[in-house]
Amino acid sequence: MSEASAERVPVEAGFFTIPDDPSASPQLLGSKCVECGEYFFPRRPICARCLAHGCEDVTLSSRGTLFTYTYVHFPLMNSQRADHGGYGVGQVDLPEGPRIQAVLSGGENDFQIGMEMELELETLRQNKQGQDVVIYRFRPSTDGEA
Amino acid sequence: MGLQEVAVLGVGTTRFGVYPDKSNIVLAREAGVAALKDAGISFAEVGEAFVGYLFSTPMTGIRAMKEFGLTGLPATHVENASATGLVAFRDAAWAVASGRCDIAMALGFDKMSEAMRGGGRGQGRDSIDNVILPAAYFSLWGMRRMHERGTKPEHFAQIAAKNWNHGALNPFSHRQPDHEVTVEQVLKSRKISEPVTAMMTCPVDDGAACAIVARKDLARKLQPDRPLVGVRASVLQTETYSRGHIFMGPVVGPPSMTRDTGKQAYEEAGLGPEDMDLVLVHDAFANEELEYYELLGFAAEGEAEKLLEEGHTKLGGRIPFNTDGGLIARGHPGGPTGLAQIHELVVQLRGEAGRRQVDGARAGMAQLVGGGSVCAITILQRD
Repeated sequence: MSEASAERVPVEAGFFTIPDDPSASPQLLGSKCVECGEYFFPRRPICARCLAHGCEDVTLSSRGTLFTYTYVHFPLMNSQRADHGGYGVGQVDLPEGPRIQAVLSGGENDFQIGMEMELELETLRQNKQGQDVVIYRFRPSTDGEA
Repeated sequence: MGLQEVAVLGVGTTRFGVYPDKSNIVLAREAGVAALKDAGISFAEVGEAFVGYLFSTPMTGIRAMKEFGLTGLPATHVENASATGLVAFRDAAWAVASGRCDIAMALGFDKMSEAMRGGGRGQGRDSIDNVILPAAYFSLWGMRRMHERGTKPEHFAQIAAKNWNHGALNPFSHRQPDHEVTVEQVLKSRKISEPVTAMMTCPVDDGAACAIVARKDLARKLQPDRPLVGVRASVLQTETYSRGHIFMGPVVGPPSMTRDTGKQAYEEAGLGPEDMDLVLVHDAFANEELEYYELLGFAAEGEAEKLLEEGHTKLGGRIPFNTDGGLIARGHPGGPTGLAQIHELVVQLRGEAGRRQVDGARAGMAQLVGGGSVCAITILQRD
């Protein structure tokens, strides 16, 4: 991992927050339909459920429940962790409704369907400006509370 | 005139495999010429063409069509990921059904071996919508099913072994094992992503396949001595929203997409699962096939494992699935995959499938999903 003091920038803008406090959880940027109240990730102006135009911007919970997962026995390319032999992939249900498919942090035997997961940021690499380029992933919740 | 007045006039396919010395154009010509020969017509009689591929540059399909001669016919590119070939078939069938032409061609080709060379298998994460290994997202179905139903990896391995062994009976199959593949062998092969092992996945393939459809009355006149294989349904759906829908990352659509598309296909065909004699499905990863037993109505919810365990879905069983080896053995280049399924259905329904012939086969179904996502289903029936 790079030094905590490095500035963090998203690998792609518009999908998640980067809290100033490195120990705080990031949040996914979602939408809520003003007509039917359905929540979505990522942001979208038109509701996929009732087709109304004009969803409002919201931030989504950073914790959810693991719906399913797998562990891929191939290295994750472009990751700086050369020691990483494989990686978890999972689908996490947020309390607002959206199901998020993402890479999971942890080893082959660290996951169980139904467990609480928490969003975190992973540093992919440093850019030319010396900033940490980060992406989101989920890890098992440390305190078990959703 | 409707789809019910359309018949398959001819089919052709290359054996799928890795062909470093053959271009897309050469593969497409081989499959197309085989289909024209099987149909017993000249390319001059083809009124419209639909060409599908995933891994080549724009207009490659139009260039491939020139191999058959320059007749000025309208040709349209089709791309719907793994379902491309079945979608090209649907368009060709409807071009005839709508009265736009009397004879239409659906052609698919691809060289996945070249597409894989640049990227490799693992996957950059330089965008949020990154590419995770394709096996992973269907493995997510498999892990969930094991959790909900107590399904064992042995079930998935049994499907893979069945399809490998079906491939041994198909001269067009990429994989033609010279011994009986066992459940143990499949389970012991390299781990890809839990619960999927290497032998539960389709190979990397090059190849081409082609189907020619025509007005039924014309087909009868051209081929008076051959059993007529009619098109009963050819449908396509995209994803339908329900809560928990996944929008981000590589997606294969909710499993319900296959149930909904199947329902539409049965309704349009006026047939049900009980009328099918064989079924071809998207077994890119073995655990998918188990889900499709239920989603397509061949087993009640939670009963797919029983259908498999009792041997009903292998050749000789009540409703054999993937009689040609499926994507796992026959192969899965991309664009031509659905047209290879059509080839198998037609050969089976004509009674020309040799050692893998399903006795008295009269109706069959081909299903593919395409990541992104779509589901395409075609039902054919012998008159």
